[in-house]
Amino acid sequence: MMNKILFVIMTALLFISCSNDDDTPQEYIPAAFEKGILITNEGPFGNGSGNITFISEDYSTVTQNIYRTVNGTQLGNIVQSMGFQDANAYIVVNNSNKIMVANRYSFEAVDSIKTGINNPRYFIGVDGNKGYITNWGDPNDTNDDFIAVLDLRDNTVSSTIPVSFGPERMVSYNSKIYVAHQGGFGQNNVISVISGNTLESTITVSDVPNSMVVSGNSLFVLCGGNPNYTGNETAGSLVEINLSNNEILNTYTFGTVEHPSNLTMDGNNLFYSLDGKVYSLNITSISLPGNNIIDGFFYTMEAKDGMLYATDADDFASRGSLIIYDLSTNQQVQDFQTGIVPGGIYFNE
Amino acid sequence: MKQINFHIILIIFLCSISANAQLDSIQHLPEVMLTDSKLVHFSKGFKLEKLDDSIVGNNASSLTETLQYNSTIYFKENGYGMVSSPSFRGTNAAQTAVIWNGININSVFTGQTDFNIISPLNYDEISIRSGGGGVQYGSGAVGGSIHLNNTFSFKKIDTTELGLRFGSFATLGGSVSTTHTWGNHYLNVGVDFISSDNDYDYVGKNQKNNHGEFLRFSAKINEARKLENGVATWNSEYIYNDRNFSGSLNTVGKDAYIDIATRNLWQIQQKLGAFQTKIAAAHLFEQFRYFPDSEESFYDEGSANTFVSYLQAEVFLLKKLRVNGKLEYNYITAEGTNVGKNDRKTLATVLLLNHRVSKNFSYGLNLRKEFLNDFENPWLFSADAKWKISPRYGIRLNGSKNYRVPTFNDLYWYAGGNLELQPETSYQGEFGQEFSFGNFNVDVAAYYIFSEDLIKWIPGNGGHWQPVNIQKTTNYGLEAVVGYFMKLSKDQTLDFNANYSYRQAEDLEKKKQLIYVPFHKASGMLQYNYKKVAVYAQGLFNGKAYTTTDNSDSVAGYTVFNFGAEYKLPFEPNITFGGRLKNIFNTYYENVAFRPMPSRNFEIFLNFKI
Repeated sequence: MMNKILFVIMTALLFISCSNDDDTPQEYIPAAFEKGILITNEGPFGNGSGNITFISEDYSTVTQNIYRTVNGTQLGNIVQSMGFQDANAYIVVNNSNKIMVANRYSFEAVDSIKTGINNPRYFIGVDGNKGYITNWGDPNDTNDDFIAVLDLRDNTVSSTIPVSFGPERMVSYNSKIYVAHQGGFGQNNVISVISGNTLESTITVSDVPNSMVVSGNSLFVLCGGNPNYTGNETAGSLVEINLSNNEILNTYTFGTVEHPSNLTMDGNNLFYSLDGKVYSLNITSISLPGNNIIDGFFYTMEAKDGMLYATDADDFASRGSLIIYDLSTNQQVQDFQTGIVPGGIYFNE
Repeated sequence: MKQINFHIILIIFLCSISANAQLDSIQHLPEVMLTDSKLVHFSKGFKLEKLDDSIVGNNASSLTETLQYNSTIYFKENGYGMVSSPSFRGTNAAQTAVIWNGININSVFTGQTDFNIISPLNYDEISIRSGGGGVQYGSGAVGGSIHLNNTFSFKKIDTTELGLRFGSFATLGGSVSTTHTWGNHYLNVGVDFISSDNDYDYVGKNQKNNHGEFLRFSAKINEARKLENGVATWNSEYIYNDRNFSGSLNTVGKDAYIDIATRNLWQIQQKLGAFQTKIAAAHLFEQFRYFPDSEESFYDEGSANTFVSYLQAEVFLLKKLRVNGKLEYNYITAEGTNVGKNDRKTLATVLLLNHRVSKNFSYGLNLRKEFLNDFENPWLFSADAKWKISPRYGIRLNGSKNYRVPTFNDLYWYAGGNLELQPETSYQGEFGQEFSFGNFNVDVAAYYIFSEDLIKWIPGNGGHWQPVNIQKTTNYGLEAVVGYFMKLSKDQTLDFNANYSYRQAEDLEKKKQLIYVPFHKASGMLQYNYKKVAVYAQGLFNGKAYTTTDNSDSVAGYTVFNFGAEYKLPFEPNITFGGRLKNIFNTYYENVAFRPMPSRNFEIFLNFKI
């Protein structure tokens, strides 16, 4: 009921803001989703559509399904992730095999990319008019994985770079792209370094690199290790790479049966999740496993400005939630309902 | 909204159609024998419906269609002709057993039967037994069981039936079945196929059902031989299905399945003194190949061989007390890309008893105990009673404990399979009333089912999914079946049949309705016959069903109507031709969310009986 009311209010606000635009163009009207938290919800697998939840910065309003509210159309099946460049959001819709481009503040549709990609996973933008999309191709084929290079001026794929299998998340540093190859349906253990339209080098890390953060001149890569069911279980590890020469500085190893994930960073602290616990590590003195600060199984986490944002996907067949913790006290301060399988947390500010 | 639903139901209830011969109307001509006779003898206090041949003929495309329009069973069909799983009285897809001539044929891998890969034309008799049948039919007979039976006879038969069908979306079907008897022999041989491009329009969506092509081929041999003091029978079938899988509104279909099954059953029945004995051996083979991309040659596969053997002895004492004892041994060996190579042995002992106290009252007691299984071997029981209080009114009562054993996927799937799983268990009770006023028959049943240790795949530690015995549910509901036959004049008759069911199936932890279990379902058929002409209208209403476990999302309810007519030529050889217009109002509807069902389409047929 509450959601319905909010939906009506938000829709009404949109109409009001639109008509106001026409009447008084000089007056500054904040876009509907200008400041706050954006959650991408994968949606139910196989059928249905994923969507995006917006929570205002002051936590006073929660709006579900904002893309459809604004544009009247669904995003598509499995909203995997979202990336940004300038005023645009690039929403990666995995199973529908497309990237929907929308204004990141109003979520009005701008464009879509449907050719030149195959099983897209993540987007990252660099240098104003260049973007990269990781693609698995056929997840059973380990030789058809690639990075699509996008020309953001016309949102077309300008070239493709074949890479090792299972390219997933990306970070950028000095105009270079570091791609973690988690390994798709299997397992992989490399980081690809992309410069321009070429694969510059690869760095072999530990098995299943699942998340990365850049701190100063270091790239921290959290590797989950091979899971038990592979028959070749390997320990998780935290790998520190020196970004000036792409060499491994340190490898911190977990226990053989420990498979951490969800590396995120705030200030000098790293956070990750392992076996239903969230741990924090101080970058200047890393010693595993670190401090257990919060308990809970989270689907994804982002730390930012003293807060930890974490999602719970529940049974993956009902609405999930976003839980916000204050990292000074490690106490929960808020929780919000999201869509089905909340898999990405982003911020507009 | 509720009122609207109610009115829709009422309208369907009153003006549309369905069709099943009910309960005691199962009249076996004495010379036609059933390969699984205990179905009739030990189900007195259960609701047992036999589908008429004409009804099967009206919905012959798939077993899904046959049952959807003619029973209270709800089907979750992933687009027309695609994977279709039943929910019988709100239970899950693996809790409906499909019994072929007395043998459980649910998949070793999934525990369920895909109702779209079975041709309803391959059997002489299709019956629906509602309620728990675990004692007689083993694992999975929880919500109810569907019985596909081949019959035999030694009276003089010499017939060949040939049917040809043609329909929209390049649908082509054909079947031949020939039956002969001579001396002490009975032989029935037949083939049946259907193929379709299945590229229907998504009504009003400006999209087509691409990649939904399917082909189904079945062949059967049924043989019986009279022995000195009994009979020997052989039933055999081969089924081949090649299907591409449709996409949805949001996705492009790419994958495909090829399924192959063979089934053979040999039985010898002998009368030894007062005992009617039976010795049986069966072999079931199932194989699937899953192609993630139908254009590529890569596939995952699985195949299973099931060997069934049993000994059964039955005695009928003082024409009142029927006792049946059975010893059954099953051996399953299965191998698959994702499940490795595994086997299972089960020894089951079954004791069935039916006591006819008087002409109007009988009761039954049934027990089953299994051995050798790796998990706990449950005691299963059921008790039933039937009391015909007056010629116009009868009641029945039954209660049972049933189970479902974990499937090979649940146990051995890579990754996630859980060797610690225990069987799902359920307890249930039913109260039924039967009214009969001449040509007007009504059956009303109320049931309650409590299930625990239901197997559910949940995300576990480290992100991979694992099945665990976690869910508890209660299901309860009401079912009404109405049948009416009216003779309008010497040449004109009217047939009316309708089903309505209400079901609530609640996850006890979440306190929410289970997904893909609609509260309301109704179907019906009204047929008008004039001499050799028959005209009928048929309707189906499926209520809203939730698609998320917190009931935050749902797939809308829908109503579709079909219209059909046929004419039988008044001379020999017997030729019938006719047609059917399906979804006459071109309604947009989804059975599974975002997977549209067919637009308006037609079908014409020509049947010869020689």
